[in-house]
Amino acid sequence: MIKAFRELGHYLDVTLQVIKMAVMTIIEYPANIAGWMISNPLQFIMGFAIIKFVVESFGEVGGWNYGQLAFLYGLSVISHALSMIFFVQGWFMGYYVIEGEFDRYLTRPLGVLYQFFFTNINIFGITDLIPGILVFVYGCVKCAVHVTPLFVLQVIVTLIGATLIRGGIYIFLGSTSFHTRSATDFGQYTQEIMDKTTMYPISMYPESLQFILTYLIPIGWVSFYPVSSMLGIENNIYNGMLLPFVTLLVGIVMMCLAGGYFTLGLAKYESAGN
Amino acid sequence: MIEVRNLSKDYKLKHKEPGLKGAIKGLLKPRFETVHAVKDLSFEIREGEIVGFIGPNGAGKSTTIKMMSGILTPDKGSVLINGEDITKHRKAVVQNIGVVFGQRTQLNWDLRLGESFELLKHIYQIKQDEYEKTLDDLDAILSVRELLNKPVRQMSLGQRVKGDLVASMLHSPKVLFLDEPTIGLDVSSKYALRKFIREINRLRKTTVILTTHDLGDIQELCERIIIINHGVLMEDGNLSQIVDRIAPYKTLVVEFYDETAPEHEKCEMTEHAGNIAKYRFMKNDTTAAEIIADLSAIKSIKDVSIEEAGIDDIIRVAYGS
Amino acid sequence: MAKYLYIVKTQIIKSLTYEFNVYGNILMQTIIMITSAYFWKALYRNQSVVGGVDEQSMLTYIIISSALSVLMFTNVERRIEQSVVKGTVATDMMKPVSLFGVYFAEDIGSIIALLFQNMLPILLIGGLLIKIPGMADIHDLPLFILSVILSFLINWLIAALFGMLAFTAVNIDALIQVKKHLLRLLSGSIIPIWFFPEGVANVLKALPFVYIYQLPLSIYIGRGDRAEQIAQMQIQFLWLIVLFALFFAIHHRVTRKVMVQGG
Repeated sequence: MIKAFRELGHYLDVTLQVIKMAVMTIIEYPANIAGWMISNPLQFIMGFAIIKFVVESFGEVGGWNYGQLAFLYGLSVISHALSMIFFVQGWFMGYYVIEGEFDRYLTRPLGVLYQFFFTNINIFGITDLIPGILVFVYGCVKCAVHVTPLFVLQVIVTLIGATLIRGGIYIFLGSTSFHTRSATDFGQYTQEIMDKTTMYPISMYPESLQFILTYLIPIGWVSFYPVSSMLGIENNIYNGMLLPFVTLLVGIVMMCLAGGYFTLGLAKYESAGN
Repeated sequence: MIEVRNLSKDYKLKHKEPGLKGAIKGLLKPRFETVHAVKDLSFEIREGEIVGFIGPNGAGKSTTIKMMSGILTPDKGSVLINGEDITKHRKAVVQNIGVVFGQRTQLNWDLRLGESFELLKHIYQIKQDEYEKTLDDLDAILSVRELLNKPVRQMSLGQRVKGDLVASMLHSPKVLFLDEPTIGLDVSSKYALRKFIREINRLRKTTVILTTHDLGDIQELCERIIIINHGVLMEDGNLSQIVDRIAPYKTLVVEFYDETAPEHEKCEMTEHAGNIAKYRFMKNDTTAAEIIADLSAIKSIKDVSIEEAGIDDIIRVAYGS
Repeated sequence: MAKYLYIVKTQIIKSLTYEFNVYGNILMQTIIMITSAYFWKALYRNQSVVGGVDEQSMLTYIIISSALSVLMFTNVERRIEQSVVKGTVATDMMKPVSLFGVYFAEDIGSIIALLFQNMLPILLIGGLLIKIPGMADIHDLPLFILSVILSFLINWLIAALFGMLAFTAVNIDALIQVKKHLLRLLSGSIIPIWFFPEGVANVLKALPFVYIYQLPLSIYIGRGDRAEQIAQMQIQFLWLIVLFALFFAIHHRVTRKVMVQGG
């Protein structure tokens, strides 16, 4: 027990140092800050504008009104932003595999996956948080949400779970490169699929697709189920106030499975130049 | 200290055929071939040794050193460092090893050198006073303190190598692995690197394992060499003993006053160009003095010198087989 | 010319090398296409015609849009960035081939490989799983092909112009992303701009982006009459000339700057 705490302390200590260095790196290149400050929020402001236009042209989407969609979109963008901060490197894992960049992580006394994500922590992900929070608050107001302790807990639990689910998916996709030895990054595609499935209610899709998104690739738990629960919107699969907690559970399970798949891949790691 | 037992590793390589037709064929029906990079390798390394791995490109030396430092997972066999299996207890074992891979840096490109050291201090949980003491010791060998405030991207290659060497030793590892450390370095950086290895080995009893193509590294650093070819251990032992065994000869270089050079019954004339002739003789057969005496009885000699059989002769013999 | 053809061929072979990329890309694009199809089917559940387009035309729109996206592949911006970052620009420019000619040839090579690796499978899968994306009026085919060629050139020039920003800003990763998002959303590739409010749509019609995707797609599904389409193609052509002029002007300045400073 004490050993576990000491180890946790060690990881926290390294994490703080890594964040400090990430911030210093950003300050070294101020030109980049401006670029990302424009790029990232722009993407989501436009995304949100499109939802508005779609609602204006077609009325409700899958039975959800504009305010509810804003709430869903906001929450989804926040968990997206968190996953960008901690897990975006998963998109580029193939590059690290081909270039032999895992050598360094393997010769240091910390978890390989931890080092891979945290020594490359992407502070710029914060620029995605801002539009997410703005739209989420807007959605809360539109839906006249009562902010109770339970609601706050549901939001926090959902965000943690959703971030872990996203991270797990990135790890799964990235780890395939240990087997294929190819540096392809499917980040952009993944993003496009996630956008369509987390920013709109999955109840608008046919049942077969809903089944896949609920059980096989659990994207439905990123935003649809927890938000249905928080806003009290009925769907024909799962209902109830506990859904955000299921999201957390799904996130933890996803992470464990992804970690296992990664470890299997790492045993096949070939470094570079052989 | 280090035990390597029956180590084996295979690679699967995609078979590529030339041209557009080959590319389409590879797309629809990829073919793979298995390459045995390392085959059933076993040896032991004692504390405080400096061991050099040599062998031609693709011989398996990099693969071996990468399995020994926990980067690659062996297909068969095991590597024990201080009695612990590196594959099974990676995190505990790597606390005791340092790694320097030539041409690749573990320093953060964008920040001052000191920041990279700071991170390592946290990763290896080095106490502040210990850290300062180690840095002082290493600074005495390589004078690295003056570089601490310099951004790594502004450093010369030589300075970066210094930084990497010190970085790999900050946590006082018992074993230091170096993969082609002198590749691409200028003479003075090479000298600094060799001095560093000798000194940490002498002062801190660090066991050093390196692969190299540079015979100078081997001659200046290693008492023991391991020659690997086709993934198999060809030679393992003391450098001078291997030289004596594989190449038990010397070469006498004689300069005459004209272009004719006499033969000698106990020598083989390996080269004859202009006024200079080279005579190779077995060490246990005769001596240089005897040959010089015999030759000068026939013809007047202007100058002589002796070439020892060296590591390059060994390489030639070992790689040839 | 032979030199550039050789580059095209080499690039085709290069693109074919990684079989995983190929199958992975097809799978990903298929998933995206199918979710898009369901997305529009769901939206059209209670409406028959929105923005002058019915559900079937909209499905054709997204299948052809997916197929068209293959032609919009560019690597020129990354190539420029790399040569600036690695400091090889000056030597690259001294070579007896035009730098941008090489990049163009490489992109053409990649696209030719992609036509078979991606476009064909996408059309087949789209045709099997969603609907056969037939053209509204086959007589529009020459017009469609012409506008696709113009689209491709506009897209490539925009990419090259963005790439040239690398000469001023050290790291253009963020800018490349900005461009990507702008293109995705403002070109009508995901959502046609006729769903946008009129004011916004009018602004977008003045920008070059809609002429990359939406115009050829509109011709394909037969939205709007012939006169309107031709009027739009004139704007498309105008944009091509403007971008071409811009490209040459900036290219000229950049070349001079690099030659003077030696990169």
